[in-house]
Amino acid sequence: MVHIKATFGLTLVLALGAVSALGQAVKGQGSPAKPGAVEFLYPEQVTVEADKPAVVKLHFRVAEGMHINSHAPKDEFLIPTTLDFPDGTGVKLEKADYPVGGEYSFPGDPGSKLSVYVGQFEIEAHIRAEKGNHLVEAKLRYQACNNAQCFPPRTAAVAVDVIGK
Amino acid sequence: MKRNTIVLGVVLFILATFAWAGWANFEYRQQAAQLRLASVDRGMLIADPQGGPPEYVSPLAGKPAPAFALEDLSGAKVALSSFKGKAVLINFWATWCAPCKIETPWLIELRNQYGPQGFEVLGISADDLDRNDAKRFSEEKDEIAQSATKMHIPYPVLIDGATLSDAYGGLDELPMSFYVDRNGVVVAAQMGLTSKSEIEGNIKKAMGQ
Repeated sequence: MVHIKATFGLTLVLALGAVSALGQAVKGQGSPAKPGAVEFLYPEQVTVEADKPAVVKLHFRVAEGMHINSHAPKDEFLIPTTLDFPDGTGVKLEKADYPVGGEYSFPGDPGSKLSVYVGQFEIEAHIRAEKGNHLVEAKLRYQACNNAQCFPPRTAAVAVDVIGK
Repeated sequence: MKRNTIVLGVVLFILATFAWAGWANFEYRQQAAQLRLASVDRGMLIADPQGGPPEYVSPLAGKPAPAFALEDLSGAKVALSSFKGKAVLINFWATWCAPCKIETPWLIELRNQYGPQGFEVLGISADDLDRNDAKRFSEEKDEIAQSATKMHIPYPVLIDGATLSDAYGGLDELPMSFYVDRNGVVVAAQMGLTSKSEIEGNIKKAMGQ
């Protein structure tokens, strides 16, 4: 009797294992989501002294598993990350300080080192704002890759409410 | 005797359970594959349940390669149809694509190796081109030419690949390669950086080896 119980128990375990294996196979199908690459994090609003130079730190995040070229990629044909403020918003971008990129090599080519941003990074925007409230819709141009593919150059919206006092 | 019968029944039940699971798994994969090929007009990556690299599924698999005639860097039109009878690797790349630069030397070596047996590579740049601005267009074309020269590409380099995006199932990720056999049928497709041996395997497939 004990033997029979043990056999039934084993059967149940194996059967559950088989069903679980089937479930896993089904769950494994499907295309992974398309990456968004870069997201502007903050600040949403800054207050600066009107008509005086000010520095605003803009924070960004690169999606996990992705990297983007730094502002100074090591290959002349790679597209650098650049920040651009539109004209006529009452806020002028006088200069941008970009972080130094980290080194990255693609699998299969450990010899070549690219300069990239991964994870979170910040750009120091040197601005001069006129008096008043200005909604600046700046753009960050970047070109992203993962460890096997590259995606066409894109721009991320960088919306900041700049208050000049 | 009674105990033996019960044990035999249990064993048969286990075997039947596994057989059912295997059959159901096979059926599901068959249906999923058919559904994918029938319903999608864009290529997609399919995750590997075992955790290996994802598989690129192209809607063009087993179908005639969409015809095209694009300009090469000298401005001459080059048609895919002019390579009929040859196995062709259609390789979409861009000047900004770092992994494309890793695989290009492999393509050159494989073209040198298999070219005499009736194999050709067509490198199609997917770089954006501004045809409404003649000066900008010329600069962009020069940049493609400089990049191709720097990589010592000996095979035809065509421009305006982005115009083939819909026909080839989307070119949102690069590099992207399609292997066309001697009858003009797509026998394999790859997205992203793979390996020289995988590329060579697909070239052999296109050559019927």
